Amino acid sequence: MDIEKITFLLNDEPVTAYADPAESLLHLIRDRLGCLSPKEGCGRGECGACTVLLDGKAVNSCLVPAGKAAGKNIRTIEGISNGNSVHPLQRAFVEKGAVQCGFCTPGMIMSAYALLSENPVPRREEVKRAISGNLCRCSGYKQIEEAIMAAAAEMNKKRV
Amino acid sequence: MQTEATAVSKPISSKDNYQSAEVWTKVTGKAIYGIDLRLPGMLYGKILRSPHPHARIRKINTAAALKVPGVRAILTGSDLSCSPYGIVINDEMPLEPDHVRYVGDEVAAVAAVDDKKAEEALKLIHVEYETLPAVFDTGEAQLPEAPQLHENFPGNVAWRREVVRGDPESAFRNADLVVESKFHIPQFHPAYLEPIACVAVSEPDGGITLHAAVQSPDIVRDLLAQVLKLPLSRVRIVGPVMGGGFGGKVYGNLNLYLISAFLSMQTGLPVKMQLTREEEFTAGRPMVAAEIKMRMALGNDGTFLGREMDLITDNGAYSNQAPWVSNTLAERNDSVYHIPAIKTKVRLVYTNKVPTGQYRAYGNQVANFACESLIDMAAKKLKIDPLEIRLRNCVRPGETTVHGLQIKSCGLAECLAAAAEEIGWTKRKKGHGYGLGAAIHASGSVVFDPNLRGASARISLELDGNISLFTGEQDYGQGTHAAFSQIAAIALDLEPSRISVYSRDSLVTPYSMGALGMRQATIGGKAVQLAAEKLREKIIRTASEMIGEPVIMEKGRIGSASGRLVDFTEIAHYYHGRTSGLTLTGEGSYVPPESSYDDAKYGNIAVTYSFAAHAAEVEIDPETGALTVHRIVAAHDSGRIINHLSASGQIYGGVVQGFGMSCLEGYLFNEGRVANPTLADYKIPTALDVPDITPIFIETDDPEGPYGAKGLGEIVQVPVPGALANAVADAAGDWVTEMPITAEKIFRILSKRGAAK
Repeated sequence: MDIEKITFLLNDEPVTAYADPAESLLHLIRDRLGCLSPKEGCGRGECGACTVLLDGKAVNSCLVPAGKAAGKNIRTIEGISNGNSVHPLQRAFVEKGAVQCGFCTPGMIMSAYALLSENPVPRREEVKRAISGNLCRCSGYKQIEEAIMAAAAEMNKKRV
Repeated sequence: MQTEATAVSKPISSKDNYQSAEVWTKVTGKAIYGIDLRLPGMLYGKILRSPHPHARIRKINTAAALKVPGVRAILTGSDLSCSPYGIVINDEMPLEPDHVRYVGDEVAAVAAVDDKKAEEALKLIHVEYETLPAVFDTGEAQLPEAPQLHENFPGNVAWRREVVRGDPESAFRNADLVVESKFHIPQFHPAYLEPIACVAVSEPDGGITLHAAVQSPDIVRDLLAQVLKLPLSRVRIVGPVMGGGFGGKVYGNLNLYLISAFLSMQTGLPVKMQLTREEEFTAGRPMVAAEIKMRMALGNDGTFLGREMDLITDNGAYSNQAPWVSNTLAERNDSVYHIPAIKTKVRLVYTNKVPTGQYRAYGNQVANFACESLIDMAAKKLKIDPLEIRLRNCVRPGETTVHGLQIKSCGLAECLAAAAEEIGWTKRKKGHGYGLGAAIHASGSVVFDPNLRGASARISLELDGNISLFTGEQDYGQGTHAAFSQIAAIALDLEPSRISVYSRDSLVTPYSMGALGMRQATIGGKAVQLAAEKLREKIIRTASEMIGEPVIMEKGRIGSASGRLVDFTEIAHYYHGRTSGLTLTGEGSYVPPESSYDDAKYGNIAVTYSFAAHAAEVEIDPETGALTVHRIVAAHDSGRIINHLSASGQIYGGVVQGFGMSCLEGYLFNEGRVANPTLADYKIPTALDVPDITPIFIETDDPEGPYGAKGLGEIVQVPVPGALANAVADAAGDWVTEMPITAEKIFRILSKRGAAK
C-alpha cells in the first residue's frame, strides 16, 4: 500500500490528504476527511447513496479511486448551500415530503443538482433517468421527482 | 374548563403537512446514522462466518490472527458465557460454539483498531470443520432421514399450529364450487438502504450502552440484558437516525449487537460493527419463504363458505420472529372477508439456509398473493365480476370475524368501490389487464406482550414555554413524530413546531413495544393524546391558581373572564419557582380495551383494524411476456388522516415495495448459498421501474384511535401482490402462482395457452 499526497478542492476549499490512491474516494471523504454526508449503502456502485460531484459530474464515490480526485473539485451536499441559506432542492425535498429515512437524500440531491446544472428545464422522464442510479426504498420516488421538478421551476423563476 | 371538549374535538386539518425539524438535518447531510457513528478510541469489529451450510466446528486456532498488530480481541463461541436465546424459540447463539447451520453463521469475531486490520485477522483464523449433510428444502427437511438442525426439534419442525373455526367439513361438502391452488413465495429482504450498524460501549459500572437504530429498542434492551446477564438498568440503548427499517430492524441484528457488546466488555473500548450489503443478504433476517396450498369453498352466487390452508414456512437455520410471521401469514387474510369456516395447518421448518424474520406486514402481504388470486380463480369459474364477488363478501363494520377480530370502523367496501372507480373498472381498456386486491391489517396489535398491550408517553412544559414530548415510539421517516407533535398540538392548542419529540434514549424515554404491528400511530398516538390532555389540565389549574381566577385556554394563551392573560412561559416559571425546579408534566398511559385472545388465539388482537383495496392496470407483451405495470390505485381506510403528506408518502413507498416483491425481488439459492446477495442481482425498484400510483383516503372516524386515526405503515404493501397477480391473470389468461411474477413465468402461461406468437 503506497500512501500518496492527494490535493483537491472539497466544496471549493483546498484540502490535502495522505492516502492510498487506490482506496475509494468515499473512504477518503468519510473516514479521512470526516465529511459524512455521502453514505455507504453497498460499496459497489449499486445504490447511489455515496453520489458526489467530480468536477460537476455525478459519480458513485465508492467506485472512484481516491487518486482520481487529485486536482479536481469534489462537491458534496455541504457544498450546495452556504450559511443559513438552503438550496432550492433542499427546500423542495422538505416541502414535497421527499424525505423519509433520509439515507438516500444527500446522494439523491447531488444527482438532481448535477441534472439541473446541465438541464435546467428537465422533463419528468429526464428526472427519472437522472436519479435512476439512486435507490430509495422509502418513498417510491414520486415525491422526490415532484421536489426536483418544483426546485427546477423555482430556480428558473429566479433566473428570469 | 368548558372549552376542553370543543378544542379537543377540533377536526384535524387536512392541509396540515407538518414535518419535524429533523428533516432539515437530512437534506443538509447533517443527520447522523448508525454507520456514521464514531466514538473516541473506538475499535472496529468483524465477523468470521461459516462457509458451509452445515458443519461441526472441530477446532479454532486464533494464534496467528492475534499476532496481527492492531488486533485487540478475538472471540469464539466457546469464549461466551451465554445460553442460546431467541425471540420465540431459544435456538441461537451470538457465535456458534460447535455447530454451524448455514452459510453465514457466526463463528468468530475480531476487534481491531481499524477495518483493514480486523479483516486481515479474520483471514488468519483457522477453523477446522467437519461438514455434515445439509437440507435446503422444507419438504425434504421433514423426512425421517433428513439431517437434524437442532436437537429438540424432530422432523426439523420448529413450530406448528392447527386452527379450525366454524365447520369447514360441511362448508366444503355443501359447496357449489371448490377451487384450489398452490403458491410459492420466496424470502424477501426489506432492503433498507442503510445496512445494520452499531457501537457498543462497555461502561465503568459493568453495563453496556448500545448505539443502534432499532424499531423496538426496549425489547432489544430486554434481550441484551438477558443474554449478557446484566441488570436491566445497566443496559442503555441510544438510537442514531435510522436509514430505513420496514420491519427488518424491529430487533435489528441481535447477534451483531451481542458480539459488539462482548468485544467491548473484553477490550474496555467502544466497538463498532456494521454489516456489509452482502452480509445483509446472506446473514440478515429476510422474511420467511412459504409454500401455500389453499382451497376455497363457495356457493353459486359467489358467497364464501370456507377456506383451507396448508402452509409450510421456511425458517432457515434459526427462528427469530418466524413463528409470529408464519402465524400472521396463515390467518390475517381470513378476516378480509366474511368466511364462516377456516381450517389452517402451519408448519415452520428448519433448513440450512439464512435465518428469517419479518418485513413490513408480517407475512400478510405475501398471503394476500395467494388468497386474492384464489378468489379471482373462483370468480372466473362462477362468471362473477371480481369487484362484485369482493363487495358481496367483504367484512363490514360491526362484524366479528372468523378469528374473533371485532371490526368497528371499516371502510373496506368503500375502498373497493373507490379503487375500482378510479382505475376505470367499468370501462377497462382492451388488451390491458385489471386486478383487485383487498386487505385488513391489525392497527395497534396487542399480541406481542400480553403484559404490555398499550403505550405511555410523558410530556412537559419547558421554562421557555415550549413542549418536550418523551415517547418510546420510533420514527425513521414514517412521520410518526410529526404526527405526535400534531396530536399533542391539538390537545394543547399550539403550533406543532413548539412540540419537540424525544424517543431515542432508553434512559429517559418511556418503555415501548416500538415500531411494529402498526401500533405507533394508534396506541402510541393515543398515549400522546392522553398525556397532552393531562398536561393541559395541569396548565389550566396552575394558571388559575397563579392569578386566582378561573381561566380558559385558547391558541396557546390562557385568560380569565376578567381579561387577565398569562402565557405558557409565565405558567412554567410560576410552577418552577413554587416547586423549586419541577416542570409541569403530563403522563399518558393508554391500555387498549377489549383486546385479548384465548389459548386458541381467538379474540380481538388489536385496538382497531385498517383496511385497503388496490386496483392495478397492467399490460403484457404477447411475444415476450414482459410486464408493464401502468397504474396502481391504492384506496385506504386508515381512519382520520393526521398528515396527508406523510400518509401519501407511506402509500407511494409501500406500494412500490409491494410492486418490487411482486415483480422483481426474491431470494435465489444455490446449495443453500444465497445466489443474489447484491443490489445488482436482488433488484429493487428504481425510479424508472415504478408504476403510476394514486392514493385515495377513505376517512372513517375510529372510536379508539387518536382523533379517529388508524395505522397505515404496514398495510400499504399488503394488497399489491394480490392486485398485480389478478391483473396479470386478466391479461395473460391464467395466474402466475410463484412470486415474483416475471416475464419468463408469464411467457410460459402464454405458450401453454398458445397465445404467444
